[in-house]
Amino acid sequence: MPIKRILIANRGEIACRIQRTARRLGLETIAVYHFTDRHAPHVSEADSAIELQAEIPTAAYLDIQQLLAAAHAMGADAIHPGYGFLAENAGFAAAVEAAGLRFIGPQPKVIELMGDKLRARDFAASRGIPVAPSCTQEGSMDAFIAAASTIGFPLLIKAAAGGGGKGMSIVHSADELANRAALATSEAQRYFADGRIYAERYIERPRHIEVQVLGDGTGNVVHLFERECSVQRRFQKIIEESPAPNLPRALRDEICSAAVELSSAALYRNAGTVEFILAPDGAFYFLEMNTRLQVEHPVTEFVTGMDLVEAQLRVANGEALWLTQEVIRQTGHAIECRVCAELPALDFRPATGTVRVLHVPEAPYLRFESGIREGLPITAAFDSMLAKLVCYGDDRAEAISRIKSALDATVLLGVDSNLEYLSAIFAHPAFVAGDLHTGFIVQHAASLAPLPLDAAMRASVLIAAALGNDDFRRMVDIIPEPHASIGYWRN
Amino acid sequence: MAVILTLDGETTTVEILGRKPQLRCSVEDRYYVVYETPAETDGGGWITVNGVRHRIWRIQEGERVHLKIGNRIFSVGITDPIDAARQTTRSGEIRADMPGVIVALSCEPGSNVRAGEALLTLESMKMQITLNAPRDGIVSTVHVAINQAFQKGALLVALEPEKESSPS
Repeated sequence: MPIKRILIANRGEIACRIQRTARRLGLETIAVYHFTDRHAPHVSEADSAIELQAEIPTAAYLDIQQLLAAAHAMGADAIHPGYGFLAENAGFAAAVEAAGLRFIGPQPKVIELMGDKLRARDFAASRGIPVAPSCTQEGSMDAFIAAASTIGFPLLIKAAAGGGGKGMSIVHSADELANRAALATSEAQRYFADGRIYAERYIERPRHIEVQVLGDGTGNVVHLFERECSVQRRFQKIIEESPAPNLPRALRDEICSAAVELSSAALYRNAGTVEFILAPDGAFYFLEMNTRLQVEHPVTEFVTGMDLVEAQLRVANGEALWLTQEVIRQTGHAIECRVCAELPALDFRPATGTVRVLHVPEAPYLRFESGIREGLPITAAFDSMLAKLVCYGDDRAEAISRIKSALDATVLLGVDSNLEYLSAIFAHPAFVAGDLHTGFIVQHAASLAPLPLDAAMRASVLIAAALGNDDFRRMVDIIPEPHASIGYWRN
Repeated sequence: MAVILTLDGETTTVEILGRKPQLRCSVEDRYYVVYETPAETDGGGWITVNGVRHRIWRIQEGERVHLKIGNRIFSVGITDPIDAARQTTRSGEIRADMPGVIVALSCEPGSNVRAGEALLTLESMKMQITLNAPRDGIVSTVHVAINQAFQKGALLVALEPEKESSPS
């Protein structure tokens, strides 16, 4: 029986995005929400909605038992996890299937394999997919140093049990290695009670290139080409595009083939993304696989003409892959940027407020995907992403010019956002030249900062603001001249 | 008539100098001619300041005005002008809104003045400007003399405090 009623275990723009395709296909949608989201578009636009109880808003969307109970109560036959929350939780996928519902995602054991970063990396290596050269300290320190030296410099030393940069350092030459390794060991011991360290080839000026794949669970996998996601702040993508600029076709094909090879070997079912690090010399390394729909999937939809949510539904229904690689074409160029409630000038600190004015441009080559509307409060309870703006063009120059105009035409007042900052990136010569790497924002921090206001512009801002104040306006418009001011000025 | 605004942590006064035929304002000792035209289609509008036209979108939220002007976005804090005016009226302190020089004094301590009556004339930005009493009252102190220069914000003349009227 094909899927008819989908419970969407998510919120915000992605819940709205999934609803759109479901509506087009004549499927019913069920929204779930926490009380704080009761006025959100993902609730009002669904065919039905059910409230989840939790003290902390995010906990509601992570509560497997409540989600399953809601699915049963509302007669759902499938659950779409969106991205984030439970999307890559193998236990959730297994619980959904055990409850007799379809999980619109991969098989639980595939999530398990790809969700564990070290297992996924070993699996990739076993299939001949390049991974960054590395070695783990298992025996003596001398043996580790000898093994690490053969990898080549610079090296990144990490704590095997670590995270958050603790015990991490970059080693540029063999002379430093013994000292740094000893230091890293003692730090690792201190922070993680596990002194084992790990060395991997450090890639300077890396690019983040990822490949969209689609598999039916029987080993049939196609790719939908690559996305470049190198422009990042705080290790999170803010601009994504397809095709990747300045990426030779042969190298692009090689990376895409590696992604297909890996997904096919895993018998992957669902849309998914295989992420790679690309070094300036053209070497590329498997980073991780995301077993879900990505935030940036619309750029791929624009250049391939496919609806990825529809594709997810078809493979979840058990349909065999209906496409061959040869018929999939990458046409034109698409760029996405993420509109976030944040303060770029204060190290991208998240901002809160209430959306007071929201005016969004419309055009056939443009998608503005959001889960917000005027009057909606933006709190710190959820992710700071408010919307994504995606533009298509015949070529990269046209896509850039369109997304710049679209940003200029977007009005979002009441909550601070990165709209101006995004415009500055699209206007930056290095971005226009496609000279991208994951340190782009740090490298160009000074030239991306807003220009200070000159006196005339500052005065215009202040006068315009004063005229936006009701009381001031009344003084200007209504009160007869002689009484308008206190001690008024006569020229 | 002035309003006090805060932008990027800096406080500035916008003063209305005249309203006809067009609004004339001073900001930080400069003089601006302003008019606005609403956009025909999509809300928002245009503001023209000294002949330079900007697209604007604007909304008031409590004591702030959020606005997009051209391609830039600002949030400006505003001190309620009526409150500020009431404050001035009640306190009876006449302060300088811009630096200048006193050219004439029309009152002295003890003078009984009516609202709108001239208190002094000053010269600022090459303009002679007469300051009038904000309300009826008795001049308590005069803090400046003829030809004396003063800075923005300086106390020029003070009226005796207004008697509190008992609330009915």
